[in-house]
Amino acid sequence: MSGIGIPRRGASRDGAGEGHYRRPGSQRVPLTLFPLCGKREFTAPLGKVMASTAASPPVATVTAYELKLAWPLGAFFLLFFLAPLLLLLFISFYADTAMTHFGLTQYAKFLLDPFSLKVLGATLWLGVEVTALCLLLGFPLAYIYCRVSGWAQGVLILIVLLPLLTSVVVRTFAWIVILGRQGIINTLLLDLGLIDSPLRLLYTEGGMVVALAQVQMPLMVLPLITALTRIDPNLADASSALGAGYWRTFFKVTLPLTLPGIIAGCLLTYAAALSAFITQTLVGGGQMLFMPMYLYQQASTLNNWPFAAAISFIFLIAVLAVITIFNMLGKISQGYANA
Amino acid sequence: MQLTRRSMMTSALALGAMQLFPGISKAQAKRIVFATFTGSWEEAHRDVLVPAYRKATSNAEIVLDPMLSVDQIAKVTAARANPPIDVMLHDPGPALVAIGNDLTEPYPVDKSAYYKDLIAEAQDPAGPAIFFQTVGLTYNPDKIKKPPTSWEDLWKPEFKGKVGITNLNSTLGTGFLVEIARMHGGSEANVDPGFKAIEALKPSISAVASNPGQLATLFQQGQIDISPGNFNAIQIMKARGVAVEFVAPKEKAIAFKTTIHIVKNTGAKDLAFALIEAALSPEVQGKLMESPYLIVPTNTKVKMGGEIAKVLAKDHADMKNKFVFQDWKKINEQRSAWIERFNREIKV
Repeated sequence: MSGIGIPRRGASRDGAGEGHYRRPGSQRVPLTLFPLCGKREFTAPLGKVMASTAASPPVATVTAYELKLAWPLGAFFLLFFLAPLLLLLFISFYADTAMTHFGLTQYAKFLLDPFSLKVLGATLWLGVEVTALCLLLGFPLAYIYCRVSGWAQGVLILIVLLPLLTSVVVRTFAWIVILGRQGIINTLLLDLGLIDSPLRLLYTEGGMVVALAQVQMPLMVLPLITALTRIDPNLADASSALGAGYWRTFFKVTLPLTLPGIIAGCLLTYAAALSAFITQTLVGGGQMLFMPMYLYQQASTLNNWPFAAAISFIFLIAVLAVITIFNMLGKISQGYANA
Repeated sequence: MQLTRRSMMTSALALGAMQLFPGISKAQAKRIVFATFTGSWEEAHRDVLVPAYRKATSNAEIVLDPMLSVDQIAKVTAARANPPIDVMLHDPGPALVAIGNDLTEPYPVDKSAYYKDLIAEAQDPAGPAIFFQTVGLTYNPDKIKKPPTSWEDLWKPEFKGKVGITNLNSTLGTGFLVEIARMHGGSEANVDPGFKAIEALKPSISAVASNPGQLATLFQQGQIDISPGNFNAIQIMKARGVAVEFVAPKEKAIAFKTTIHIVKNTGAKDLAFALIEAALSPEVQGKLMESPYLIVPTNTKVKMGGEIAKVLAKDHADMKNKFVFQDWKKINEQRSAWIERFNREIKV
């Protein structure tokens, strides 16, 4: 979340005598809390900082010192994230399982195979389903949170955070107990006489989407709460004083102002749902194949590392593409929100 | 002594480094690392095999590092010249990969005191088998009063919606596919009939587990009542109070040999040899056969008894009648194609 720190620094520098770059009024800080949405915000001042270092040495030392603080994390990422990633890319270019010669065979194998593409498509779509469900259920929750009294807020935030305090394995096993043939839902429906024989809920796509949505819910609700609490309540009052109904106020005032939160929440939920290997395998079972399992199968069972590496790279690029599109939509709507 | 921030920092970093890289602080005494399997296998080896090894080597150091076969292969492949593991343990599929990739040292058969006592199926100079894993039918005795007797029983209409299987990622799933293929006229080279049989089983299947361990959860939750299962996994479930029973089907239980290998370029070949000798000895295997371990011995000098004699085989001669050993060399040739086919065709 380095995005949080950088723009603020830019803002404070404005106050420290460099105000001629930006008028104080132009500090649009609120949106910058969401790193991906705020990119436009922090790249601009950073560029100016760089340009100004040569001109005014005293300020430059301060800036340099601050950048130095980022070194431990930067080095950590370089060593433990970027280096393995490059190694992975390197492996993906081997043409055969024994890794003796190079070629684009693995990529061709994946991209020309309708089955593999279907798995990729199903995985990306799964993320959309989970994200949509999270948004649908999470928004009302966040909305209520901002409108209840202090102690009720405490209870609500506890409910939202509770899943984060238990391991994802435990949460997933709870869903096995809920969805099983003798699980809570089936027992209840049987006892009420609504069904004659247990429904098949576990190991179905529907069951998995619901379980994933619950597991990833905090990632959606927390950014939404942040966005909603930052809206000035006077705006809604003003809107209704001017004659707008509840819905009109919601769609014209609240929703546009919450957009950054929605975008941040959706991105987090989407990325997490796609790669939720544990929940996907435990609640989805062995007959539904998604990218994480496909990858695991190739790497682990078949020892086909080049293909597994190629799969993970294609997956990475596909997810990045989806997120970029989403981010672009976000930027467009942000303009709408600021209009 | 003056405590400056700098000296505090240095000591903290040093402590942290020792935590991260334990090798720094330990004396470089000669010791070996044995990569056993996780769970009950580790427990069994820690309790029985390690004491026997230490006795034989006058308290030489040993570290048990439980991990999956694939991880063992990955770790040794990554550092061939100076492998972090000295002795590997493998199911038949990964064993062939390890041998094929030249990660193992042939076992010094001539020096071994016990090798000649192993049953023929367990003798392999690339790495002898220290135990067998067996796969048969598991069922819930509370729900299924009449024990199943044959693989065919899975297709019975009364088990509709109650059958569990695993996908081919596991040795169990692959072995099961080969066995039902054989039942319908196929073989290790031709599993077509097996796929057709699973296709016919689809209406009965309640769950395709992604790993054998998941079957336990599914039994416990009542999601499935019958499935192919590993004898040893069932014993653990039974011990924890889950209502499951194991039967060897009349077509013979599937037996996999679990082989032990000296890793190529190990710095302690003699200790690795001592460990494997201990694992092959009738004393260790006899103890491991008893409850709660119930590990099927490969040494013919071990007299079969207890649950194993009751459920699996009376003695080593009986094993040959009751167990079917599959040709994993053939299976490995096509396994990736089968996994692909399973991915594509078996959607329940």
